[in-house]
Amino acid sequence: MKNRIGFIMKIMVCFMLILPISGCWSRHELNSLSFVVGVGLDKAEKPGEIQLTTQVVKPGELKSSSAKNKSSESGTNAYWNIKKTGYLASEIIKDFSHESSHKLYFPHNQVLIFERKLAEEGMQPYIDTFIRDIETRFNVLVVVSEDRASEVLDVSTGLEKLPAINIAKLVETQKITSESPTVKLIDFIRRLMSKTTAPIAPLIRVTGEGNEKTLEVFGTAVFKHDKLVGELNKRETRGLLWVINEVKGGMINVASSSGDGTVSLEITRAKSKMTPVIQADTILIKIDIKAEGIVNSQSGSENIASPDIVFSLEKKLSAEIGKEIMAALKTARDLNSDIFGFGDSIYWKYPSEWKKLKMKWDEVFPDVEVALNIDTKLRSTGNISAPAVPAKE
Amino acid sequence: MFRSIHSKLRFWQLANHNGANANHSENSQSNLFDNLNKNLTALKGVFGNSYDLNMREFNFGDQGLTRGAIIFLSGMTDTAIINESIIKPLMYDIRLSSRQETSLLNNMSIIQATLLTVGMVQKASKIDEVVDGCLSGKTILLMDGSKEALVIGTEGWETRGLDEPKTESVVRGPREGFTENLLTNTTLLRRKIKNPNLTLETMKIGERTKTMICVAYLKDLVPPQLIKEIQRRLQRIKTDAILESGYIEQFIEDAPFSIFSTVANSEKPDLVAAKILEGRAAIFVDGTPFVLSVPMVFMESFQSAEDYYSRPYFASVVRLLRLLAFLISITAPAIYVALTTFHQELIPTSLLFTMAASEEGVPFPAMAEALIMGTTFEILREAGVRLPRPIGQAVSIVGALVIGEAAVGAGIIGEPMVIVIALTAICSFVVPSQTDSGTILRLILVILAGAMGGFGIGVGLMGTFIHLASLRSFGTPYLSPFAPLSTQDLKDTFIRAPIWAMFTRPRTIGWHDPERQEFRLKPSRPTEEDKS
Repeated sequence: MKNRIGFIMKIMVCFMLILPISGCWSRHELNSLSFVVGVGLDKAEKPGEIQLTTQVVKPGELKSSSAKNKSSESGTNAYWNIKKTGYLASEIIKDFSHESSHKLYFPHNQVLIFERKLAEEGMQPYIDTFIRDIETRFNVLVVVSEDRASEVLDVSTGLEKLPAINIAKLVETQKITSESPTVKLIDFIRRLMSKTTAPIAPLIRVTGEGNEKTLEVFGTAVFKHDKLVGELNKRETRGLLWVINEVKGGMINVASSSGDGTVSLEITRAKSKMTPVIQADTILIKIDIKAEGIVNSQSGSENIASPDIVFSLEKKLSAEIGKEIMAALKTARDLNSDIFGFGDSIYWKYPSEWKKLKMKWDEVFPDVEVALNIDTKLRSTGNISAPAVPAKE
Repeated sequence: MFRSIHSKLRFWQLANHNGANANHSENSQSNLFDNLNKNLTALKGVFGNSYDLNMREFNFGDQGLTRGAIIFLSGMTDTAIINESIIKPLMYDIRLSSRQETSLLNNMSIIQATLLTVGMVQKASKIDEVVDGCLSGKTILLMDGSKEALVIGTEGWETRGLDEPKTESVVRGPREGFTENLLTNTTLLRRKIKNPNLTLETMKIGERTKTMICVAYLKDLVPPQLIKEIQRRLQRIKTDAILESGYIEQFIEDAPFSIFSTVANSEKPDLVAAKILEGRAAIFVDGTPFVLSVPMVFMESFQSAEDYYSRPYFASVVRLLRLLAFLISITAPAIYVALTTFHQELIPTSLLFTMAASEEGVPFPAMAEALIMGTTFEILREAGVRLPRPIGQAVSIVGALVIGEAAVGAGIIGEPMVIVIALTAICSFVVPSQTDSGTILRLILVILAGAMGGFGIGVGLMGTFIHLASLRSFGTPYLSPFAPLSTQDLKDTFIRAPIWAMFTRPRTIGWHDPERQEFRLKPSRPTEEDKS
């Protein structure tokens, strides 16, 4: 009995000793951390050097500024941008500890902003630490900015107190129009690591001057491997998104069938499927798109609620979608950048043929044939069928 | 640790054992004398000078030649019965009868048979029996020249009326609760189960208190082994006092060192009746409204009498809510501590900023905060329970102000922690029978979470589950019907199936007679046969 008690006591003492030893190595109280919400990379003056801007939150200000409302808008910001230059992103991040009394904490980082100039030189050397580090996440949004990233991270609108959060939300809101892609780090890397598929990223720029500064998303940056080679405008971007099954919504204007004004059609649902077909030496990519929409507005006075007119509107919508896709395809061909993932789809369906193709894909890609099969349906004319016009006698 | 204390206690007990036992054995076996004076002196010797002891000597018989005495403890007896049914027949009615006095003189049996108009009369020939009877409120009739005494049932004392139980109030369902009187309690049970198989076995436990214990069960339903085991465990209790059923519970429970109770208790007759009807046994203890029932399973803590009285949908939702609340009450502070000190990446971004803003400038680590607030809450709760109601309100006002306002305002405690502790506090009251184990578990989990984060919580919960699965209550696995899994008994766990669908008793408890009701009892439209 006595031995047993001794044994149990020993185990309990050991267990209690384990608690302080094992614990706490990764313990950080909330008030000893600085939460990074945005990271920007710019080209520095010295060649090969970069300037890293991290935006950290000042939670106290975040809370008090909401309480004080707009009266103290000129007061302190709810964020702090730390800037440092160096050769490696990871090195600069460690260097931040000379300036920040709190440990920088990256899991809540929302956006990764690359300056366009930097992207044109190649992103691979700088992106590695954001993938490799255990604290960073793959669902960070990747954005390419026309202006300097440090400047972009300082543009605050009235809606969000943190510019980085503002950028992240801005990019995600693009789903409404489908005129700009939403690219997460994981998507970017996946495309980067693919043999043929080219990475894409939304492009943003600063518009306005002084206090009126705002940010604008305008199209897509197109990469070739890790270097930015060109861009797609908004219309072409939607063409791209149609193909890669990323269209979530958007508005397309078509001329009314009687020539009386235009009809705005809103996309409510879209689905696309890509099937490569190799026959002899020609490569054909079949793209099937199914889209549903509703009538959003109409500028003419024609009553469009008849099967014939709806059918003609559907046909026009299909044609418009086709035009968008062809526009995107043309730019991609010009840039010789396989942003659609044609190469990967061939690799999945024809692995043996792909072995031959993969060496000369750059030469083959501009000549790939594309067949579109677009099927659209208008589901509703909205709350009204006939437009609100004065009754004719 | 408990074991070592226990062994020390035992050693100390053995050392004093011989001295303690000597007091009891004095004149316990001696017989009554045939001389009234001698008997009275002997009884006076036993009772001493207690002021509530009444010895009324009187002469009776048709010529008043026979000497007798009645002895009773006032306050424990019903004087009306004594006056009307004992003294009056002996002193007055006897004169009206034509019986010869001599035939009465030495014959207690005739008095018992013809004169006393009381329901319960027994003969006794030992001083011991007489004293016992007197102490339990009976009246002793002694007669000069007789070596026997009559022990007459005249018990009657002040009792509390039937009241709604304070601990288990219901919205729908019977509102009567058990009282401190054993007879009342067993009567309440009999009125629920009018069945001759309902057996009420009694025994007296406690060398000094001689407390009546009653084991109630349905003879044809309960496994005989269970009753044997209950009796074995009850009979080995050799203690001097049983003041409440909690004493019995601690003497008979299966896992005395566990934080989980393996004996259930209730104040409600309908609940105890339902348990007996499932094949359990109930243990009544005189002097307390809390009735024990064994075996107990963990799931019982989440079942309430009202579940069965309200309709199944709502009952099931409430059942799930209770499980959720129990889970919240034991894990919420631990999860908060783990999230804020180890896994900040798991908190949604905007919530994290709000939390970080509240924690800004708070001087303590999250674990210390949780422990401080948890302790403060437990102190407040304890103060509220013990204090008289008017002062209790003052305590709650001070508590709410101190915790809710001042601590946060002064920046000592973060606001989210106050919310977490408040939520925990409310949730801990949802499952009353696990409040005590929950409090201890919560403390352990907070410390584990503070040291090892989510891993610590995982370890703690896993340890708890392993422990729960190892427990048994009178042979029934504590986690049944989950472990061992009995699929048909899941009807009364997370959900509460309609009454008509519960046609079997729980397999691990009522296996002796598993069928509760007929199979096809679902309400249905009348068939052609019914109509004709």
